Amino acid sequence: MRYAIAFGRFWYDFLIGDRPELFIGPIAGLALVALLIQAGWSAASGLLLVGLVVASGGLGLARELTAVRVRSER
Amino acid sequence: MSVVVFAVLSSFIASAVEFVEALTVVLAVGVTRQWRSTLLGAGTALVVLAALVAVLGLTIATFVPIETLRLVVGAVLIVFGLQWLTTAILRAGGARASRNEVANFGRQLASLAKEPPMPSTGMDWISFTVAFKGVLLEGLEIAFIVVTFGAAGGQLVPALIGAGLAGILVIGVGAAVRRPLARLPENQMKFGVGLMLVSFGTFWAGEGIGIAWPGSDMAILLLLAGYLLTSLLAVRTVAAALVRQAEQSPIRARQEAN
Repeated sequence: MRYAIAFGRFWYDFLIGDRPELFIGPIAGLALVALLIQAGWSAASGLLLVGLVVASGGLGLARELTAVRVRSER
Repeated sequence: MSVVVFAVLSSFIASAVEFVEALTVVLAVGVTRQWRSTLLGAGTALVVLAALVAVLGLTIATFVPIETLRLVVGAVLIVFGLQWLTTAILRAGGARASRNEVANFGRQLASLAKEPPMPSTGMDWISFTVAFKGVLLEGLEIAFIVVTFGAAGGQLVPALIGAGLAGILVIGVGAAVRRPLARLPENQMKFGVGLMLVSFGTFWAGEGIGIAWPGSDMAILLLLAGYLLTSLLAVRTVAAALVRQAEQSPIRARQEAN
């Protein structure tokens, strides 16, 4: 059990770590685009996916900048 | 053709970055303790990594359907690539300190100084363990990139060649200079690999969910160009935001009030 927890923790740190938005954003984006394609809205689905990936990265950067500001104000 | 070149390039650059980090650990242990046990530890880790790549790469590529594989691998590559890319953007924009191999080397030396003294004869298990762990942990990222590129793009051999060349180069230079490779443009390399991982990840994951990319494989180049422009813009935005933050900081406001 201990090894299973350690294994799970390793993968959590490896893929998610302290920036969950970089994990949740693209996965949610892929799910959304997949649903739209299934519903027949396939036009510009590639652009939408790219936009959602960029938005996830942008969110990650914005969070980091906020953390920098909070640290500098202390 | 472009996929082969990118597979070699991505795994070469990513592996070079990770090999440099592993080299810092190996050098620190070897210099302070015992070279034989250190090299045995590092070598054992390399064998474990090679076995992992061979078993995982071949098993995944053989048994998992290509559409599922591309979706899962693509999604993971986007996540992994975004981590590398945003870290590189933050460093380039000045929001995060760049990695300093000389400082890391010093920290390793300080940490090793706290360990029990070396045995006068035989194997030094501390050297073995620290070197093994360092190489294995850094190498897992290399294995991850090689396996994902190998499995999803059918480019296991080019990815392995890229990683192997990086290993030979870094180990060769490290053995010659016997000190951490601090001059390597680590952040630019991380930036480049992050871009490639996100581009390939988007392409493969998109194919996995049914996106028909215009121009087929050529769309990867378009994705790369688009992400590159956006990332360069992000570096400028981060730098500008930091300047704004500095101008509005309470310390500066107090200084101006005085």
